[in-house]
Amino acid sequence: MPVLILGYGSPIRGDDAFGPLLAEQLGAETSDPRLRIHARHILTADLIPELLDCDRVIFLDAALDTAPGEIRCQRLDPSRTGGSSMAHFLDPRELLAWCEALYDHRPRAWLLSVGAASLDYASYRLSPEVARVIPAVRVHIERLLEQTPTETGSEA
Amino acid sequence: MSRTITIEPVTRIEGHARISLQLDDQGEVADARFHLTQFRGFEKFCEGRPYREMPALTARTCGICPVSHLLASNKACDHLLSVSIPPAAERLRRVMNLAQLAQSHALSFFHLSSPDLLLGWDADPASRNIFGVMRQHPELARDGIRLRQIGQQIIETLGGKKIHPTWVVPGGVSEPLGAEQRDAILGLLPEGLEIAKRTYDLYKGLLPRFRDEATRFGNFPTLFLSLVSPEGRLEHYDGLLRVKDAEGRILEDQVPPHEYPRLIGEAVEDFSYMKFPYYKPHGYPQGIYRVGPLARLNNADACGTPYADVALAEFRMLQESGPVSSSFHYHYARLVEIIYALEMMERLLRHPEILDTRVRARARSNRDEGIGVAEAPRGTLMHHYRIDETGLITWVDLVIATGHNNLAMNQSIRQVAAAYVDGNSLNEGMLNRVEAVIRCYDPCLSCASHAVGQMPLVIELRDQRERLLDRLERTCQS
Repeated sequence: MPVLILGYGSPIRGDDAFGPLLAEQLGAETSDPRLRIHARHILTADLIPELLDCDRVIFLDAALDTAPGEIRCQRLDPSRTGGSSMAHFLDPRELLAWCEALYDHRPRAWLLSVGAASLDYASYRLSPEVARVIPAVRVHIERLLEQTPTETGSEA
Repeated sequence: MSRTITIEPVTRIEGHARISLQLDDQGEVADARFHLTQFRGFEKFCEGRPYREMPALTARTCGICPVSHLLASNKACDHLLSVSIPPAAERLRRVMNLAQLAQSHALSFFHLSSPDLLLGWDADPASRNIFGVMRQHPELARDGIRLRQIGQQIIETLGGKKIHPTWVVPGGVSEPLGAEQRDAILGLLPEGLEIAKRTYDLYKGLLPRFRDEATRFGNFPTLFLSLVSPEGRLEHYDGLLRVKDAEGRILEDQVPPHEYPRLIGEAVEDFSYMKFPYYKPHGYPQGIYRVGPLARLNNADACGTPYADVALAEFRMLQESGPVSSSFHYHYARLVEIIYALEMMERLLRHPEILDTRVRARARSNRDEGIGVAEAPRGTLMHHYRIDETGLITWVDLVIATGHNNLAMNQSIRQVAAAYVDGNSLNEGMLNRVEAVIRCYDPCLSCASHAVGQMPLVIELRDQRERLLDRLERTCQS
């Protein structure tokens, strides 16, 4: 089954662009048919059909609650109250919960995030702290991709 | 003793808002206010940027309706270039705008408002949410996702990116449409139209349940502002401004969009960061008006597509005479517009010149002031720029759809609060109805005005010395 990589964030707010920028890079480089890669500003309900035939999902996002440049990989479970208060956009866990509730499908999921140093408006570049850990993030992604569909683990 | 009830936050991420209800000595609502407490300042930080950056910059105002900003901004840039864009480019821009309208309206109806409409205003709040809808009406929830997906797929097919396409450029679009792309889009439309029609029929069947809400949810006389086509038909991309009053009299018609400053004034209040636009000839705040799907249907003489025209005729029957005055019927109007969007996209895509390769007019700036107006899902969107001789932005005015409705949203809250709030005893049903009347407008406070199920709200009852008398809290986990 394909693996879905979803990078999300605003491309004009500095390090918030980490997810979509990396997703775009990966998408441009790979020809692996098992990978499906999307870069988005926000997570919305129309993405749910993309999850249906995937057994694994890797979300890429910037984080505010870790040190700038710190990489964190979290296993995600579906949650109906994942953290967003609105349906204009969804938390990754809510996206998984919608998928499970409506289509009875629950892919394994991880959130791979990097601590942001700057989220200024009209800023089109990643900070040095975030830019320099991109190679390490790629290694994390490769490790997740190497896992067989039956492997488990709460942290990578 | 007069008291104030504060509902905060109405939203908690990006779009921060608060509602305050002022009670009189008898505990009845004397006043109500909708406070936008967030400041983003797009109009200021765009100053000094090259005007050609404006479409990309302002499209980031919103993750849900970026296409609207993209179009209004590019139209303002077209104006700066003093060009008339090629006909094929205009049709392609229209298709993209309609695709966004369909997916945005689908979000509002299927996922934000359906819990109230399908499960009931007074249903257990623990289940009155989108997951409750998924349990009881899974097909409808899937329809909503599919309709959004269709809209997004069309945007992606045209623009290459679902959220912030760069395909629309000053002077037209960057690439013509290929036959394969056109056929792919045409292949999506029949399924979308079937979903839209059956949802419309379902909603009509539900309407008798909502007589009370339709009477009290923002039901008052206002003006209505929207674009209409030169023939007076429903229009979302271009056209001319029309203002109609509550009796259906046309006060302004065929007004070129660049004359909007003659019609629209912008007031400010110290309790909100959202501007208070008003109809200048009537002054502030008497010049209250509404925009968006309700206003567009009230203003249009016809939709111009077969099924939407039937639905429009049924929409007009909601009111004995004159324009439909209740903001509750924004829901109805959205469903009519989804049908229209799907029908009109097919018509545009079957136009013999839709594949024309001439899609972009090229020019340098030929004016120092540009205005672009388009209909966003939530209403008329105005971008107004001034540039210096080097093409750098010196001044920006953005009149956002949700802002036009600010006076009406405030009045709606007052009406609902007066009808449902007992200041001596707060309850969940009251809280939900105050939320729900805001939701009728589908306001986009930087993408943040709605809850997945439950909006986390706190209502506090305080006396004149700000002492807490009563408190009702609802969290996402409740």
